[in-house]
Amino acid sequence: MNFAMALDYQNCINCKACEVACKEQNGVQLGADKQRIWVGQTEKSIFGLPFVNYYPSQCNHCLDAPCVDVCPTGASHFAEGGLVLVDQDKCILCKGCMEACPYDARFVDDKAVAVDKCTFCYDTRISKGETTTACQATCPTKVRLFGDLDDENSDLVKLLKKRKFFVLKESEGTVPKLFYLFPENEMFAINSIGSDTTIYTWENFKPILEKAKAKRGM
Amino acid sequence: MKKFELLGIEINKVPLTQLLFNKTMLLAYVLLAIGVYGIYDVIVERYFIDAANAFDAGMHPGSVHVAEAMKEAIFGNGGEVKREEPWTIYIANYMYMIYSGSGIIFLVALAELFNVEIIKKTAAGFMTLGLAIVFGGLFTIALDLNILHMQWMFLTPNLGAGMWLMLPLYSVYIPFVVFEIYLLLTKKHDLVKKIAFGILILSVIIDIIEYYIQAKLFNMNTARHLWTTYPNLTLYFIISAFVASSGIMILYSMITYKKNFPVEFKQLSSFLVKIALACIILLAAYEATAFLFIDKDWANVILFGRFKYDFYIYMFFAIAVPFSLLLLSYIKENSSPFFMAVASISIIIGTYIGRLIFVYGGNAYPMSDRFGTGFEKYGEYSIAKSFIFTPPSINEIFVIVGSVGVVFMVYAILENFLDVSKIREH
Repeated sequence: MNFAMALDYQNCINCKACEVACKEQNGVQLGADKQRIWVGQTEKSIFGLPFVNYYPSQCNHCLDAPCVDVCPTGASHFAEGGLVLVDQDKCILCKGCMEACPYDARFVDDKAVAVDKCTFCYDTRISKGETTTACQATCPTKVRLFGDLDDENSDLVKLLKKRKFFVLKESEGTVPKLFYLFPENEMFAINSIGSDTTIYTWENFKPILEKAKAKRGM
Repeated sequence: MKKFELLGIEINKVPLTQLLFNKTMLLAYVLLAIGVYGIYDVIVERYFIDAANAFDAGMHPGSVHVAEAMKEAIFGNGGEVKREEPWTIYIANYMYMIYSGSGIIFLVALAELFNVEIIKKTAAGFMTLGLAIVFGGLFTIALDLNILHMQWMFLTPNLGAGMWLMLPLYSVYIPFVVFEIYLLLTKKHDLVKKIAFGILILSVIIDIIEYYIQAKLFNMNTARHLWTTYPNLTLYFIISAFVASSGIMILYSMITYKKNFPVEFKQLSSFLVKIALACIILLAAYEATAFLFIDKDWANVILFGRFKYDFYIYMFFAIAVPFSLLLLSYIKENSSPFFMAVASISIIIGTYIGRLIFVYGGNAYPMSDRFGTGFEKYGEYSIAKSFIFTPPSINEIFVIVGSVGVVFMVYAILENFLDVSKIREH
């Protein structure tokens, strides 16, 4: 298994139901700075016309995750399904993983005095037989789709075969597994995607995944 | 003073009052008291802050702790660690102390290897000072970490992580330096003569490994391009550490030897001025060229953005002032104590600012431009930041002051028992 998520971010209305559901489901510390998932925002204007981009975000569960490499105690580790998880009992709060993460996806949980991050609801839902994460289940506009990349018949792979997509900060070489679907509206795409971004099809991206898996012995 | 001998070393029978209430120890107590105040607040903020999750809020709606946690969640400053800036002044201070402490030890080993007589005579004092500074650095990092979980460093080690490599490194390094100091102090001259060369070579190798591991620690943070694109980070750490170390050594020799050993002090200062000048020239050359290779986003923030004045101040204090003053001393062949004192203090301040720029600079360029469309806002009501910098809190600064107290205390204790600063003929 190789868990991942596709995000049709064009549909995000910034209702933050995903943030609330995540906190409720996973017992995440309360506070605006303590988010496992969040909706990023950028504000711009073109020819005087302002617009806001909403970017639903969380840990990318990278296949070649630098946070795992830098962790001195193995607290950050690869778990079943290629998930990147934190064993909070082992965390010595060196914060190296936070420095290594190119997505600012980690924060310190003041209750546990340890680093915390998105788990794709593995311990609270997926391992108990659920097939969706809390953020996916609660999203009113169906932004997220969680699934298994190794299953060619999964809804996730079917969607990625149908739609083009991109990943974040590809140049960092982390092989992230949040797949942002290329917007159907062309203007929206121009406004919300950087010019250096590579747009992939499933066939283009699959070899990158395989290479990263081979490197990590997955 | 009465002495007794242990393993070939003469140890002073210091009266307890003299040990605990000498000038250096009193200064150390003041600094440590400030440090303890900072530590108390840090521990309270880290381990005893009221924090709650949705379960707590649902199960204990009337709890005072939940109410406090809610207040903190809404009006608080987000806890001890900032998501966008995890490493702060603790890391900068740790770097400064560890690098300059081991820089002193490294320089002494090199000087002994090249048979510099005056350094051989004063090596024990310098090495003890270096060791004391290393302890100051370790004190800082120990406070920065969650010490309650440290057993996992032994139980489930990640052998490839730069952070984990610190453990075996200092487990070997500190006893090794202690052994070197022992060899400098012992009367077993035959033993020393037999192994001295081998130990010196080993010392140089261990020092280089130390800086390599430190560079690896930063280099593994692939997202922070200041640290990954800094050319030859190991070399940079060594050169910059040597500059800081030479400044500290000059100041130490002025305090320790100038009054009571004027002849030796003259030789020592003449040598240290040359070393400091050479290191400053190397550092200046490094800084002048390094930014040609450093990622432009980070170079922009440091050279032309938020940190530009800090960088100028760093250049002024670490390079321009000491270079001018020490060059004058060198040309006149009569080291002016005033110039040397100003130069050494300037070096210490300048190189410290350099470390702050290195650590804070690594986090200065935000990670939030994830889609290539500009920096994201971190909250609904905040504004997007084009750089990240949060000044250290007063408690953090107090802890740093406390770490200086640790240096004074460790040195004073060893000096009282072992007379490490005594000039020894070998």
